[in-house]
Amino acid sequence: MAEDETIFDPTLKKKKKKKKATFDIDAALAEGNDSLDGNTLSGENDALVANDENDDANADIDLDFTKQKKKKKKKPFSTDDLEAALNDVKDETSGLEGTNQDEEIIDDNFDLDFNKLKKKKKSKKKDLDEIMAEVDDKAEDKENVDDNAITWSGSDRDYTYEELLNRAFEIMRDKNPDMAAGKKQKFVMRPPQVVKIGAKKTSFANFTEICKMLHRQPKHLLDFLLAELGTSGSVDGNSQLIIKGRFQQKQIENVLRRYIKEYVTCHTCRSPDTILQKDTRLFFLQCETCGSRCSVASIKSGFQAVTSKRAAMRAKTA
Amino acid sequence: MSIQNLNTFDPFADASKGADDDVQDGLVHIRIQQRNGRKTLTTVQGLSSEYDLKKIVRACKKEFACNGTVIEHPEYGEVLQLQGDQRENICQWLTKAGLAKPDQLKVHGF
Ligand SMILES: [Zn+2]
Repeated sequence: MAEDETIFDPTLKKKKKKKKATFDIDAALAEGNDSLDGNTLSGENDALVANDENDDANADIDLDFTKQKKKKKKKPFSTDDLEAALNDVKDETSGLEGTNQDEEIIDDNFDLDFNKLKKKKKSKKKDLDEIMAEVDDKAEDKENVDDNAITWSGSDRDYTYEELLNRAFEIMRDKNPDMAAGKKQKFVMRPPQVVKIGAKKTSFANFTEICKMLHRQPKHLLDFLLAELGTSGSVDGNSQLIIKGRFQQKQIENVLRRYIKEYVTCHTCRSPDTILQKDTRLFFLQCETCGSRCSVASIKSGFQAVTSKRAAMRAKTA
Repeated sequence: MSIQNLNTFDPFADASKGADDDVQDGLVHIRIQQRNGRKTLTTVQGLSSEYDLKKIVRACKKEFACNGTVIEHPEYGEVLQLQGDQRENICQWLTKAGLAKPDQLKVHGF
């Protein structure tokens, strides 16, 4: 359990986001975005919708079967009424020597409608029951967990593994409130405020604020952002970052997340309580929590393709 | 049973061609750059110079239906340049073609 949480695998992010809204920087970043709640809610909704769709699918299948007359006749019906009605229809049609096929089809459709209604009602009811049962189960589980904490101390029965495990975790959490593994301390990040300036520039309004929050030099973050985005920019008088090019909040957030992963959180214990030191041309990340110290990748913008107007470039250099 | 010491494997084979290779950190950097409007450019830096980049670019152009070119850079060596955001495409293609392992690819940008 603890191990799962400490793994910082970008590929896991999406799943985690849906399952456990409170974990990871990811989630912290998304806080205040509401998008998270939307995600989880929509996830539940999807499940419900899926159920409904299943119902519809069932109905559709019935429809398909019933349109093929022979199959319909062979098909056993659950209610006697329907059977009787069917027989009536059969009798009538056989009396007419099967000349009025159209009529029969219409009758079939009637039956079909009956079917649909009944089936739907039944399955809906079932679903509801199931959901209610699940809710009950969950409630019971919760009660059990609560009970474990209380009842286990009074009696002298053997404690279960679950109880012991819970007890161990409870004690761990009590003793170290800011333990990284247990309840997972929240690394609160405010989302970057990204505003468009005209058609070609983007403002990152709370850039300096975020630098302060991460305890990093604005220049370092600036270098990283510009290198990653492959563009240029600068901090203006209002301490906001102006970036050349059009970027959305989501995109800046992505880059920030990568910055945090590489240059803020400890690579060993993931604690954000770290110091970035420059030592002989290399940056080292020193962790205040576990004491680990490791070098981090230097920021390189690497190859930059020429995207500005070449004529203007030539005029400048010539 | 083979005796490892007697193998003709040269442990320094990599080193002889390494060093001044354009693969500085053994990583293939895939970057994106914005051009005017909503147009973008994808650059691939750090592919081994053993590969014929011209051949690669020809294949990529056909595969991704985009234009592309190879640029000779004094510091970074030959760099692949493709039109549009081809980061996903090129990652998949490079791994599929066996030109780079997934953990060698470093994708930059948003
Ligand atoms: Zn640490």
